[in-house]
Order: sequence, then C-alpha cells, then structure tokens
Amino acid sequence: MKTSPETRDWAQRLLAYEAVAGETSAPADSAAVRVYEKLRRPLCALAGVAGFRSLASRALALARAEAPTLSAVQITADGLLRGLGELESQSDKGHAEQEGAILIAQLFGLLRTFIGEALTLRLVQDAWPDAAFDDPDSGNGEKDEPTT
Amino acid sequence: MSPQHKVKIEKLPTGVPGLDEIVGGGLPEFSFNIIAGAPGSGKTTLAHQFVFANATPERPALYFTVLGESAIKMLRYQQQYTFFDPAKLPDAVRFVNLSQIVLEKDLGAVLEEITQEVEKVNPAVVVVDSFRTMVRKPQGGLSEMDLQSFIQRLALFLASWQATTFLIGEYAEEELRDNPIFTVADGLFWLRQTEERNSVVRKLQITKLRGQASVPGLHTFRITNNGLQAFSRTFGLSGHKRSAPGKRRLSIGIPELDKMMGGGIPEGDSVLITGASGTGKSVLATQFIAEGIRQGEPGIVAVFEERPQAYTDRAGSFGLDLETPQQEGNLLILYLRPLDLSVDETMNEILDAVQKIGAKRLVIDSLAGFEMALSPGFREDFRESLYRMIFALTGIGVTILSTVEVDESFTKFPFSTYSISFLTDDIIRLRYVSIEAQLRKILVIIKMRGGNHSQDIREYEITSKGMILGERLRDYQRLITGIPERVNRSRQKQGPSDKPEAKSKG
Repeated sequence: MKTSPETRDWAQRLLAYEAVAGETSAPADSAAVRVYEKLRRPLCALAGVAGFRSLASRALALARAEAPTLSAVQITADGLLRGLGELESQSDKGHAEQEGAILIAQLFGLLRTFIGEALTLRLVQDAWPDAAFDDPDSGNGEKDEPTT
Repeated sequence: MSPQHKVKIEKLPTGVPGLDEIVGGGLPEFSFNIIAGAPGSGKTTLAHQFVFANATPERPALYFTVLGESAIKMLRYQQQYTFFDPAKLPDAVRFVNLSQIVLEKDLGAVLEEITQEVEKVNPAVVVVDSFRTMVRKPQGGLSEMDLQSFIQRLALFLASWQATTFLIGEYAEEELRDNPIFTVADGLFWLRQTEERNSVVRKLQITKLRGQASVPGLHTFRITNNGLQAFSRTFGLSGHKRSAPGKRRLSIGIPELDKMMGGGIPEGDSVLITGASGTGKSVLATQFIAEGIRQGEPGIVAVFEERPQAYTDRAGSFGLDLETPQQEGNLLILYLRPLDLSVDETMNEILDAVQKIGAKRLVIDSLAGFEMALSPGFREDFRESLYRMIFALTGIGVTILSTVEVDESFTKFPFSTYSISFLTDDIIRLRYVSIEAQLRKILVIIKMRGGNHSQDIREYEITSKGMILGERLRDYQRLITGIPERVNRSRQKQGPSDKPEAKSKG
C-alpha cells in the first residue's frame, strides 16, 4: 500500500528540515533516523512503548513492500530503529534518502489513518515547533489508502 | 462559622449538558473522583468531556492511559465527538501512557511517574484511565493496606497540586463496600446501561459527592455525537421557586365549557381530557391551545402519534389556524421521536421549548402516545415520571392539558387507564352514549381541584367549528352508563341539581 503523494511530500519536507539541521549541528544519525526519533518520543508517551512499536513495525512492513532493501532494518523492543544507518552507508545517498522517506511516510500514513489529519499535524508541530508545516492535504485533499 | 469565613469551593463545569445541575452546580475543584461502570457505559467519554471543558495551556489536563483501550484508538474514537478540540493537543490536553511502567514495575514506580509528570506540567485536571487495570495487576506481596496507602498518597499528592482528578474503572456495585478507593474518593459517579427488550437505557448516579449537595437518584443520560447529555430528575429546575397558584382562569376556547369550569381552567393547573377514540379529545386540546394564542399566550403541543403538519392540517379543518402562530414563533408543535425516549429527555425538549417561546400553555396529546414513545425500561416508571414532569411544569406556571384514551365500557366509567387522576387538578370526561339509535356524545367535569364546577352532563357535537356544547340532557337518566333511559319528566320532581348554570365560585 502506497502513501499519498501529500504524505510522502510531508515526510520529504521533514527529512529536508532535519538534513539542514544536521548540517549545522553535525549529528551522527541520518535525517530519517532523526525524524523517526523525534516522532518516537511523543508517540511512546502517547501510546506507550508497545503501542508505538506496533505502529512502527506496521509502517516498516508497509515500507518494505515499496523498498525491499528495508528488510535489513529492524524495530527493537524499545521501538528504536536499527539498521537504517548501515543501509544508508551501503547504498548511494539519494537511494537511501528515498527509502528513509518511504518509512517515515508510512508512519505518517498510519497516524493519519488512525488519529486523523488534525492530530497528526499537532503532533508534528509539537515535535518540530520551529518548523512551519501545513496540512499535507491542503492541496487537493487526497488521502492515504485505507490500511485495512 | 459564619458564611464569610467558610472556604469557598469553586465549581468546575463538567462539560456534560445537564450534569452540572445534577452535581449541584459543577464539580468541586481539587476533588478526587471515581467514574465507575461497565465497559461501554461512557466513562472515558465523560472524562474527555470534563477534560476538554476545563483544560487550558496554562493549566492543562494530564490524561494517563493504562492497560485497556489503546491511546491511539481512544483518540481515534473520541475525536468523533463534537467537544473534542484537536487544537487543545498537546498544549492543553496531554496524554501519557503508563502501560510499560504498570507492566514492568510496582505501584511505587507508577506513583513516581505520575508525580514527575504532574510536577512538570502543573495540570488542573488529571485522569487515570483505567485505574482499575492498574491496581488489578497482581502485585507481588501487595496487601490491602499497601493499596490503600497508594491511593491515599495519590489522592493527597494530586489534591496538594490543586488538580481535580478522575480515576476511571470497571467496577461492579458489590465492590462498593470493600474497595478502599471508594473511601478515599470525594465523588463517585456510577454509569449504568441496561437492556430492556430492544432498547438500551443509560442512567447515571452520583452516589457520593463531598462538599455540596447533588441531586439524588438515577438520572437518564444519552450518548450522541455531542458526547454525554444528562437529564436531571429535577429537569434543571432545582432551586426554582414554585409559582404561586394563579387566580386567573384560562379560557379553553369553548365559552359554554368555560362556564361549566367556573370561568375556565385555573392557571397552572394540569387538566386531563379523557375519552374513547373519536370523542374529540384532540379537538378540545387544539381549541385550548388556539384560544391561548388568540389571547397572546404562547403554547407548546407535544404530539407522539402524528406529525406536526398533520396536526396543523387537522386543526385547519376546524377553522383553527396553527400555521401562522408557528411561523410567528408563538406555537411550537413538538414531534418527539418514538420508541426510545426517556421521560426526562422528553421533558428536556419540552422545557427547552417552553423557555424558548415563553409558553404558558402545553398540550400533551396523548399520554398513551407518550408512554408508547418511551423505551420499555421507562414505561414501568411512567406514572412517577409523569408526576415529576407535571409538578415541574405547573411549578413554573405552565397550564397543561393532557389527553388520554380510555376503552369505552358500558359497565364501567373509567377516567384513565393509568390511575393518574391524582396527578391532575381537573378531569373532563368525554363519553359516547346510545340514544334513540344514535351514537351521541356527552361531556362531564369529574373534578376541579381549584373550586366548584358544573355537575351537568352536557351533550356536545364535533363540528367544522370545533366542539359545540349542547343542552343538559334532562330527559335521560343513567347517562354515564352509555345506555341511558328516557324518563317521563312530568312525573319527575324538580330538584336543585336541575339548575342549568354552573355551580362555580369563580
């Protein structure tokens, strides 16, 4: 199941934002891992570690259908992301970024499906208070396909 | 202690329409409350309504979720309600999941986590959902005293931090005696739902509320897209002074009948029009409401058996224009949706309508239809509910005319199938009689609490102009049997009861 172009665009924008932030603070992790981490913390508080892990595992499974190389990536019992950094180091930068974006987009897609547009946006705004993010569907209203 | 030296307990809005009235004006600030009930009874929704009604970014609400409904799904469902404001998340309403700590650690760790979050956020409202699952988890070596101590410390801490708290749990009523949580709690809200045939009846009860008086008893509530709505047994009128009995008489719109009643219906009375099908009960009721409008008294008609337009059209066939007063806002015809109502909901709609147009007259047409419109679970309480409704409405000065159908009998003379004559001030009985191979109609006033009335038995007809009273049927006896006998008047002695005028004081 593919996410809507808007959701992917939203994920791309977050990754781009984190990439720029990474250039100034020189973090070790890739943009995709940092976006994932910034989402993991509030989502674990909201849904519990087990709740977040379930969501993340589902997002990863959906992302693998689009990018089979993500099969090397794992979600730990704590909900941490393992293997994406290694994958990025083994493939070209553009390709790795694309795979990271797919995973993040799938996670957003699930959130939008379960808790809706408004709450997902509130969650993102809370995690990235300095970034300006609009409703990803403000353009044409296209939604993600249902997960069921 | 003089009133000015007493501490003033602020009351917080519950966010549930009708519930503030039940809890005595609002929920006491800093109170420690339990919402108990079976799964699906509306506990979580009630807590959310309270949260969204009170949480602000300055004094947020902390909503702790524990094992039970997943927080994601809870948000998914709760946002369907109109009170759910996504803009309040996460600044004003914050959700914190405690499942991991509950699963892996002990109650001490749970308390520590709650303490940390509360000290960090400084919330005005704290909810733990579900508290029951948190303390039900087998705790190694946990005694009842340990549990009591945990609850005590939690309540103490949250009150000290000036938080109003709700603990939610799937408790059964038999646990009320043994569970320490109920001792510590300041407020105890029980939500129940019972199935009666094909209907579900929801009721809530405040079994405990420290610091202020709540309205006792079971109150109906409904869950709609707007969340819970409660219907107080006092119909939102507690604290209202009853109107002094009016001396004014209201015309019923039939001058001869007004005379029989000593000038009309005493204002604020409850009148019962009783008779068999087709005797003209609704016509009489329509004339009463139309006359009120003619005299500048707005009215409400609650119909259960036909649609407002049909009622309006039928009035038109008697030359009574109910269309114009409806357009002008002086008349509301309420069609109350059938089969699953509670009396309290019906009352709520009627009271809203009364307040909306300042109604002075109310017609309930008919009580049989009203009863049928109720959920089966409420029918058992129909008489008691009717009493409360009539008492409440007449208490605010509304004059009520209700119709009730009785089976025509030629051996009995029943007034109502409900044994509700004690609820009414005045009763007018309509009856078929068989006279000279014709089915004719008679009317008699059975009682008037406010004074004397005519004891005449008058014939009447339903014409295109409505009910027209005829003469007293002097030439017949045993009229109320329905099968009268003609008497030879030349052999009858003239008595005081032969006077044609009403024996009224007014």
